[in-house]
Amino acid sequence: MKIEKMSFEESITKLEEIVKELEDENISLEESMKKFEMGIKLSSNCLKRLNEAEGKIEELTRSEDGKLVTRELDLEKENK
Amino acid sequence: MEDNKTLKSKIYTVSELNLEIRKNLESSYSDIWLEGEVSNFYFHDKKHMYFDLKDENSKIRVVMFHSNNKNLLFNIKEGLHILINGYVSVYEKRGEYQIVALDARPVGKGSLILAFEQLKEKLEKKGYFDRIHKKNIPILPNKIGIATSVGGAVIRDIISVLERRFKNFHLIIRDVNVQGITSSDEICKAIDDLCQYGVDVIILARGGGSLEDLWAFNTEKLAEKIFDCPVPLISAVGHETDYTISDFVADKRAATPSVAGEVVILNKTEAVENLKEASKKIKNLVKSKMAILKKEFNFLTSRRIFIKPETILNKFNQAAGELCIKLIGNMKRLIRARGKILSDYRQLIDEKNIFKRIYIYRMAIKNMDIRIISDIKNYLTLKKSRLKLILENLQGKNPVAILQRGFAIIYKEKEDKNIKSIDEVKINQKVRIMLTDGILNAKIFKKIYKKLEIGFKNEN
Repeated sequence: MKIEKMSFEESITKLEEIVKELEDENISLEESMKKFEMGIKLSSNCLKRLNEAEGKIEELTRSEDGKLVTRELDLEKENK
Repeated sequence: MEDNKTLKSKIYTVSELNLEIRKNLESSYSDIWLEGEVSNFYFHDKKHMYFDLKDENSKIRVVMFHSNNKNLLFNIKEGLHILINGYVSVYEKRGEYQIVALDARPVGKGSLILAFEQLKEKLEKKGYFDRIHKKNIPILPNKIGIATSVGGAVIRDIISVLERRFKNFHLIIRDVNVQGITSSDEICKAIDDLCQYGVDVIILARGGGSLEDLWAFNTEKLAEKIFDCPVPLISAVGHETDYTISDFVADKRAATPSVAGEVVILNKTEAVENLKEASKKIKNLVKSKMAILKKEFNFLTSRRIFIKPETILNKFNQAAGELCIKLIGNMKRLIRARGKILSDYRQLIDEKNIFKRIYIYRMAIKNMDIRIISDIKNYLTLKKSRLKLILENLQGKNPVAILQRGFAIIYKEKEDKNIKSIDEVKINQKVRIMLTDGILNAKIFKKIYKKLEIGFKNEN
């Protein structure tokens, strides 16, 4: 499976697996280089994902014609 | 003092009086309904229930025997407002009157509890709470959906928790009434809308309150909506001690709305830290692996064979040389041995004088041939002369030869049989006389009987 298509959970799980596999002394050099490369990729991909979210608060309502619409919501202003 | 006997009224014994009172009470209050609050509740051996029912000013003893309370759908508890049905009786041993309850029902809040428990039992039986149906809550949802009241404090609590944990979270709020007659339907609709809009997780949130306040989260309709919801759902209703049906059906229960903020998304700082830690760890692991391998490499390369590889070749060279010498020696010996066998055979052939013997045999065979041929010649000559003799003999018996010597054969006119006696023909009978060169037709005109001499000399 391509790293880019893995969910965050899958990536984290895979990364943990790689750490465990690398801890095994019997792993071959070739294999460990492969794992290392994948681990670094997974880690940076996860970090990227952590910063991907947009960071906003929206309210979901239905417009008059029944369509779902969102609008930015400022709770401080709402309460005033 | 008056003598007892002078009294006109009847004197009762205590037992008699208690019995009579009991009978009176039981007939006067044989089927009554009584409402009140439960106090001094005592469940003896989980069988018979003893408690008081009270109002502001007064109270009365109640007993509910096992046979009557075993089928109750709710538990009678301290402080519960209930309605009971039964009759008034007397506990004669103590002279105390009490109500024997045959049935009990909750009043007000109590009926909600009853309904709650009934629904809970029903859904539990249907498997709505089974672990197998629980979906995993994503640890990093892109969009967090939440159905709650925008006006309440709850949403602020959640947002502040989220801000602490994951600054750039994306929250989609669906404003609903979390209390009141319509609230349950509104929440159901909100779940549909959030699913349709597309969120990764849904939180149902409401602050604490009485059972009535939280009732929107205890309806069967909402339970079914949550159960069928394709998106992982967290129920965060009330305080830690409050339980709602939605808590049981949801994929996860958050004890409070703030807790929901914690379980709905990972802590970013921690996550980043963990990821950095992980990549550092794998780097170090590979580094140390390399170090170990390098050490091994150095150790191996420092060995003589790598420093002076020709030594190993020398060794092989020597071995090869030795093998060559051995091989040549062996070959020589072999050739010698074979040569000896060959010369032995040659000698044997000479000794037996084979060629001379072959000549002798050949001559013998030639002689034999000559003899056989002369034998066959002699045999054939003999046979030939005998054959000639036979042929000459045969010649004399040939009728043609006889005719050639002047004899004739006589046939009757129309028969092929020859005539051997004159008796066979009559006078004037026609006959045929056959000679070598033709046939004479003749007629017999005379017969003369005369016998030929026996021992007629044959010329041959």
